[in-house]
Amino acid sequence: MLSTTPFHAEFDSNSQEFFLAGVIRPHSVDEIAASIFMLREAIDDVRGVLYINLKRLVQMNNTAFQAFARVVLDSCRTRTDLRFVVVTSSVVGWTERMFKHLSSIDPRVTVEVYDSGFYPGQSFVEDTGFIPILRTQTKMTWRHERTILSRHGMRPGIVMADICCGIGDFAMLVKKEFQPTRIVALDHSMVSLAYAREMATSFDIADIEYTYGDACEMLLEDNQFDLVTCRHSLQIFNRPDVLLKELFRICKPGGRVYITNEKNSHCLGEPHSQSIQWTYNEVAKLFSHFEMDVELGPKSRRYLADAGFDDILIESFMVTNLDGDPQDFADVIAAWENVYAGEMAVKRGDSSEFIERFRQGFRDHIFAALHPKGYAGWPIWAASGRKPS
Amino acid sequence: MHTVSDKSAEVAFKPLLRFEMDMATFLSDWQHCDQLSTFMARMISHNRADPIRHSNFFSFALNELLEVSFRGGSPQGLIDCTVYRRDATERVRLSFTCPAEQQEFYREAVSRTHQKDAIARYLNAISMDQTPNREVILLDLAINFDARVHLEKRTPASITLVVDLPLEGSIC
Repeated sequence: MLSTTPFHAEFDSNSQEFFLAGVIRPHSVDEIAASIFMLREAIDDVRGVLYINLKRLVQMNNTAFQAFARVVLDSCRTRTDLRFVVVTSSVVGWTERMFKHLSSIDPRVTVEVYDSGFYPGQSFVEDTGFIPILRTQTKMTWRHERTILSRHGMRPGIVMADICCGIGDFAMLVKKEFQPTRIVALDHSMVSLAYAREMATSFDIADIEYTYGDACEMLLEDNQFDLVTCRHSLQIFNRPDVLLKELFRICKPGGRVYITNEKNSHCLGEPHSQSIQWTYNEVAKLFSHFEMDVELGPKSRRYLADAGFDDILIESFMVTNLDGDPQDFADVIAAWENVYAGEMAVKRGDSSEFIERFRQGFRDHIFAALHPKGYAGWPIWAASGRKPS
Repeated sequence: MHTVSDKSAEVAFKPLLRFEMDMATFLSDWQHCDQLSTFMARMISHNRADPIRHSNFFSFALNELLEVSFRGGSPQGLIDCTVYRRDATERVRLSFTCPAEQQEFYREAVSRTHQKDAIARYLNAISMDQTPNREVILLDLAINFDARVHLEKRTPASITLVVDLPLEGSIC
């Protein structure tokens, strides 16, 4: 009838972490006796603290909850030296509600909700003030992507997922242009998703399934989608390989995963090319400081191959000031200046002299974009791979 | 005890999906609880604001109710489950055959979900019991899912649980 996510239990003694994942709905405790035994052994093995990681737990019935809870609470009585940290995901909110009761019974059990710290650079890209710029960016890239997507598996009637959908504008454009049968659009920002739903409602688009989730720990089942898109996101995750593994998992065998990424140091402009190039080289270093790789674009082929994809296609396109209104291009660069120079460089602790020079490159890029004889470019790499059948 | 007697409120709930099954068939495989709750949750959640997470929450609750009927049901007659919706709330109406002597147990268990000591009873149960009893499952739904649990008027040899789940407001 329906495929059930297999139940998985594991103990990592190095990190003193006991993992539970998947769907755990036993008829009796006997069915999970091995996992209960593993938890007891983990408790015997650790010193100080045991982490119980439930981030990938999809379902757990009361039979399993009570059995695991009982082991933890019994251990609190016999191991006064030990405390327990239950790590739940904000995506599966009932786990937090249920396990928090254990704290009421014994305060040495605490619950940590894994949400806002999904990845190191998250706070920079979830600022609501950034939303108009994200829309403009999508408008600029869509002119190119709408002509290349069909080479990467986009076609009418498919079932697709847009992972890290942000404010959902790409999903809406795809819906109108390519008429997929189903679109699931996932992001980790409640604010962005609220905006996406509002926009979809105002455009009378009712059938995009916007969902809150962590792209590295998705609730979505295996082998579901003909096409999985993930744009400008691998480059801002500190573990792009983990994210790509999840995209591979939810893609159908024979389906494709499509990714876009930048190589920021290749942003260019004339006049003032040297100032512009210096600044974008520094952008790459700045992101690297926050564990993000905005040079990832040309590495897409390697990442896709390492993740197990075949039939890998990669191409690049240049968003320029000549594509549409040059002011759009200038507005995007101005927004980058505000975030990169105004927030990130400040947070890194850069000197005011550095920040001023850093800003100048963005201003020169804007000058090039708006100059009647100027040229400004923003290169993007689009790549896709097929999940082997 | 609370009974569902408000006809106007009942009318306002619109039916979404229903399944009916021989109890003997239902009781033949424990996996039916998981499969039916997963399938029904996915079907009724498609037009909620966050279908994936709504489905996950609803599946949890419905699975627990189906497990209650699996553990307490009799192999005669039918299990009948209908999901309704009104605004942000889904209503599950679950009827199943059970031994007559269990009717009083369900009546008391449902009544306890409305009592002031519900949380204390729940905490006591999860700290002391090895496995959950059916009362704890109803308490779990009331406490952790803000469910309102009712029992429909007595019918011979069967129980009808009515559970209102205001999930939509608590997810997005």
